[in-house]
Amino acid sequence: MRRSIITLTALTLVLGACSSAESGGGGTTEPAEATELIVFAAASLAAAFGEGIGPGFEEASEGITVVFNFAASDSLAGQIQSEGSADVFASASDTWMDAVQDDPGVADRADFVRNRLVIITPTDNPAGVASIGDLANEGVQLVLASEGVPVGDYAREALGNAGIAEEAESNVVSNEEDNAAVVAKIVAGEGDAAIVYESDISAAAENDVAAVGIPDDVNVIATYPIAAVTGPPNADLAAEFVAYVLGTDGQAALEEYGFSPIGQT
Amino acid sequence: MSSRTPLPLWILAAVGLIFVTLPLLALLIRAPWGDLVSSFQGSGAGTALRLSVVVSLASTVLSLVLGVPLAWILARSSIPGRSVLRAVVVLPVVLPPVVGGIGLLAALGRGGVAGRWLYDTLGIQLTFTTLGAIIATTFVSMPLVVLATESGLRSIDRRYESAASTLGANPRYAIRRIVVPMLAPQLAAGAVLAWARALGEFGATITFAGNLAGRTQTLPLAVYEERITDPGAAIFLSLILVALSVVVLVAMRDRVTQAR
Repeated sequence: MRRSIITLTALTLVLGACSSAESGGGGTTEPAEATELIVFAAASLAAAFGEGIGPGFEEASEGITVVFNFAASDSLAGQIQSEGSADVFASASDTWMDAVQDDPGVADRADFVRNRLVIITPTDNPAGVASIGDLANEGVQLVLASEGVPVGDYAREALGNAGIAEEAESNVVSNEEDNAAVVAKIVAGEGDAAIVYESDISAAAENDVAAVGIPDDVNVIATYPIAAVTGPPNADLAAEFVAYVLGTDGQAALEEYGFSPIGQT
Repeated sequence: MSSRTPLPLWILAAVGLIFVTLPLLALLIRAPWGDLVSSFQGSGAGTALRLSVVVSLASTVLSLVLGVPLAWILARSSIPGRSVLRAVVVLPVVLPPVVGGIGLLAALGRGGVAGRWLYDTLGIQLTFTTLGAIIATTFVSMPLVVLATESGLRSIDRRYESAASTLGANPRYAIRRIVVPMLAPQLAAGAVLAWARALGEFGATITFAGNLAGRTQTLPLAVYEERITDPGAAIFLSLILVALSVVVLVAMRDRVTQAR
C-alpha cells in the first residue's frame, strides 16, 4: 500500500508541475551561422507576423528561418530580461519596449504599426451591447486582459475616457493573460463583451464574434514599437528584419491583418 | 553498506537532489524578506489564500462524494468494459489541465453542450464563478481519489465481510464496520492528494473559470498574474504554496505511518 501511495504522490507532483501555461521561448539552439532569427512578438501580432511577415521575410532572405515566440508583451519583456534569447522584440506598448531598452538594450527602435481598440461580443450579443457606454450596464459580463498586459491597460484607459471606469471594472468577470485568451472567452460565448484590438477580429475569430466600434474621442490607439535586441550575435539579420517590417511589404502584410500602417491613424 | 554504493550513483543522486531543491532554495533566497508585510498586502495574498482554501476543500469533498462510489464500482462490480471505464475516469490525471479546461468549457460553459441547458432553463452559469473553479479543480483531482480508493478496496480481504455476514451482519453494517475502517487510510491518502492537486491547479481553472480576484483567482493564478508586475509578490505567494505542500507531505507521512 505504501508503494501505491508513493506512486500516486509522484504522479500528482509531476502532473501538477505540468500545469503552468508558460510558453517559454528558451531552449533554442544557437546557430553557428546566423540562419535562425528569433523574434519575440506581442500576442496580437501572431497572425500578421506568423502568416504574413514571417514567410515573406524568409522568402526575401534565402536560407533564413524566422522563429516566433508570441505572448503578452509583459511576459516577453520578462523573458528577454532574464534569458536574453530574442533577436528582435515587437511590443504592443512603449512601456515594455522601454523596459527592454533599459535592460539589455535595443537598436534600430521604431514605431511600426498602430492598432485601434474595438468591443467584441458573441454573435448573438446576449447583453445587447451597442456602444462603449453599455459596458457600464449592470450585469454585463465584461472580459478584459489583466492590468499590465498592454491591451488590458489600453482598454481601461478607453473606459476611463468614456467616464465609466468604475462601473465597467465592477462588471469584469475575468482578467485574461493576453488578447488571444480574451477573444477565446467571447468566441466560446462565455463573456458578454470584451475590449480587444481591431486586428484581433480580422484573424481567426472573424465569424465567431460581433464588433461594436469605439468612437475616436474615447478610443485608445496603440502604437507598436519594434527593435533589435542588444546581445545576440544576429544583429545584422535583426536589423534586416526590422527594416522589412517597416518597408512596403511588411506594412502591406500588417494592413492585411487589420492593423493601421504607421503613416495614418 | 553505503561503501558498496558506486560513486557514479552518488554523483547522479546528488545532481538529482540539487535539481529538486535549488528552485525551492532560490525562492527562499529571492523572497522579499525585507518588506514581507507590504508585499503581503500588495499581493492580495489574503484574498487568494482564502479562495484557494475554499476551492480546494470544496473540490476535495466533491471528489470524495463522487469518486468513492466510482472506485467502488470499478473495484467490486463486474460491469463490462470496466478497464476502459477505469482508463476514462483516470484520464484527467495525465491530461494537460488546459485541455480539461477547454473540455469543461465545451461541456458546461454558458454555450456548452450541457451548460447551455443549465443556463437557458435554470439560469445557472458556471464560468467566471467560484463554483466553476471548484468544478475545474474537481475534474483534475477526483481521479486521485478514485485511484487511491480502488487500490484500497482491492487490498481488503473480502473474507472479513463474508465472516461478518455469516455472523448476521447485513451488508450495510459490514461496510460501515469492516470496509470503511479498513479503507480509512487509503481514503485519507486519496483525499490529501486530491486536496494538494486542487490547491496547485492552474490550467483548467483559468481556462474554464477565468481569473478574477476573490472569485476565481486562486493562489496559482495570482502567482501567474503577479509574476511580471510584482515579482516579489509572486515569489511570496509561491512560498505560501510551497509551505502548504510541505504540510500536505508531512500529513501524508503520518497517515501512512498510522496505517502500518
